[in-house]
Amino acid sequence: MKALGKIWWIILLLFIALYPPTLGGMSAYKSGILIFVGIYIILAVSLDLLMGFAGQISVGHAAFFAIGAYVSGILTVKYGASPLVALIAGMALSGAVAWAVGRPVLALKEYYLAMATLALNEIIVTLIIGLQWLTGGASGLRDVPSFSVPGFSFDNHVHYYYLVWAMVLLVVASSLALVRSPFGRTLVAIHSDETAAKTFGIDCAAYKVRVYVLSALYASLAGSLFAHYMGFLAPDDFGVMTSINILVMLYLGGIGTIYGPALGAVFLKLLPEFTYQFQDYELLLNGVILMVVLVFMPRGLFGIVQSVTERVKVRGRA
Amino acid sequence: MNEEILKVVDVTKSFEGVHALVDVRFGVTRGHIKALIGPNGAGKTTLLNVINGLLDPDRGHVYFRGRDVIGMAANEISLLGLSRTFQLIRLFAVNNATVLDNVMVGAHKMLKPTISSTLFFRASTARQEKAVRERALEALAFVGLEGERDTPPGALSFGNQRLVELARSLMAEPELLLLDEPASGLNDAEVERFIELLAAIRQKGITVLLVEHNMKLVMNISDEIVVLDFGKWLAEGDPAAICTDPAVIEAYLGTECGPEEGAG
Repeated sequence: MKALGKIWWIILLLFIALYPPTLGGMSAYKSGILIFVGIYIILAVSLDLLMGFAGQISVGHAAFFAIGAYVSGILTVKYGASPLVALIAGMALSGAVAWAVGRPVLALKEYYLAMATLALNEIIVTLIIGLQWLTGGASGLRDVPSFSVPGFSFDNHVHYYYLVWAMVLLVVASSLALVRSPFGRTLVAIHSDETAAKTFGIDCAAYKVRVYVLSALYASLAGSLFAHYMGFLAPDDFGVMTSINILVMLYLGGIGTIYGPALGAVFLKLLPEFTYQFQDYELLLNGVILMVVLVFMPRGLFGIVQSVTERVKVRGRA
Repeated sequence: MNEEILKVVDVTKSFEGVHALVDVRFGVTRGHIKALIGPNGAGKTTLLNVINGLLDPDRGHVYFRGRDVIGMAANEISLLGLSRTFQLIRLFAVNNATVLDNVMVGAHKMLKPTISSTLFFRASTARQEKAVRERALEALAFVGLEGERDTPPGALSFGNQRLVELARSLMAEPELLLLDEPASGLNDAEVERFIELLAAIRQKGITVLLVEHNMKLVMNISDEIVVLDFGKWLAEGDPAAICTDPAVIEAYLGTECGPEEGAG
């Protein structure tokens, strides 16, 4: 609440609620852009819990995005499971994988941890390509149905938009609650100095695994939402490049703030909407914008928001 | 009252052939302040690290409250009522952590926060947090830093950072407190104040084992002193006896000392 007052939350909620019928013009395309934004906010915020707070690098966050998406896709397409059951199964598998690899992998530090998490991402993508009979392999998994719960189908993009954003708010609100609590303080202590943290009774390994599992659950949720929106899954969407994109969102927006990575996801996903007219130069332009932000704004986009609000407050007092 | 809260028995530790500790053996009586002194490289910090579980010895035992804690992890030993400060200050500094945040981490074992307790039992978490916050403010007031609660620890003077570490370690309500050179970098006035703080800590019933080079502090506050030299037990006794012990004078003190003089 320090940075964004209650007023800002209300404005934000109103904007999210009113976007499809007003600015979005009920168009599937315009809702779709914000559905992607929402899915990436979940990914970025979940990685921020792990990296920005617990201080554990992951260059393989898309691994859990992939597990969620493919479990949802496979169970609904091949086994006729209901999407809700498939989503929960995806989260269960992601959580189990995170728990199993968490202990040994999170005992590593820095570059070694980065390499191990990257390897996990590669393993998952290799499995997706290899297990062709199950996943459709490199040619993809087709005809993933729309999301539905008993009695209601989210086959309309506007309906789905509201579902995705309800999940975004749930993830952001729960993440904020966690980082502002004694749990968040414990993560910061581990991030800062594990040796010192241990001398106060903090079981660093257990806490790192807990936050890793949680971030995997959230990423898996994002994957399931992605699968039902796209209707088609291909391994390309879940590679290391996707993991790196999520990392860029963290640093672009301001790591370790929850709001920052969310802002970074919005920025990075909306940027192509404004640069697509440059066609061949689109990627170049995106790269240049990223470099400018990272070089000149080390605290990221949220850092700019913070310094502006601080300045306004100071002026208000004077 | 003569119970030994800590017993170090034949602790031996070497690093790649260098003997850091050789058959070290001593005890700390509950309620006392015991000083551990000796020349640089005598193995004092290594011994503290063995006692609180950051290092495993090659041989020997450490009994804390009657329990052999060798092989236990530092966080487990901490839960038994052991707390410490560090020679090289180790305050938490990332994510805009403040002095108050640092002190509150000290109360971890009272909260042991989990994801589910945080998300689903918000009222009781908030209640506990409020109590911890009040205790943390008291601990900061105890060391005289109540005005610095929102300061990032890196902005404080060296001496004040040591006091934040002290407040943080007291938050765990330890039965035994290990202090590693708490007075290094303090000026004379700060040392005076620190002696008063130590007396108040002993008053609370907390046992203290203190590694320190400042002889004025050691001689004024210690009930007992143990001297290490090249990793070996050299002498043990009350300040007056240690001051006049020829072996200690030769190895470390240089001259005879007394509580009033303040050598070192």
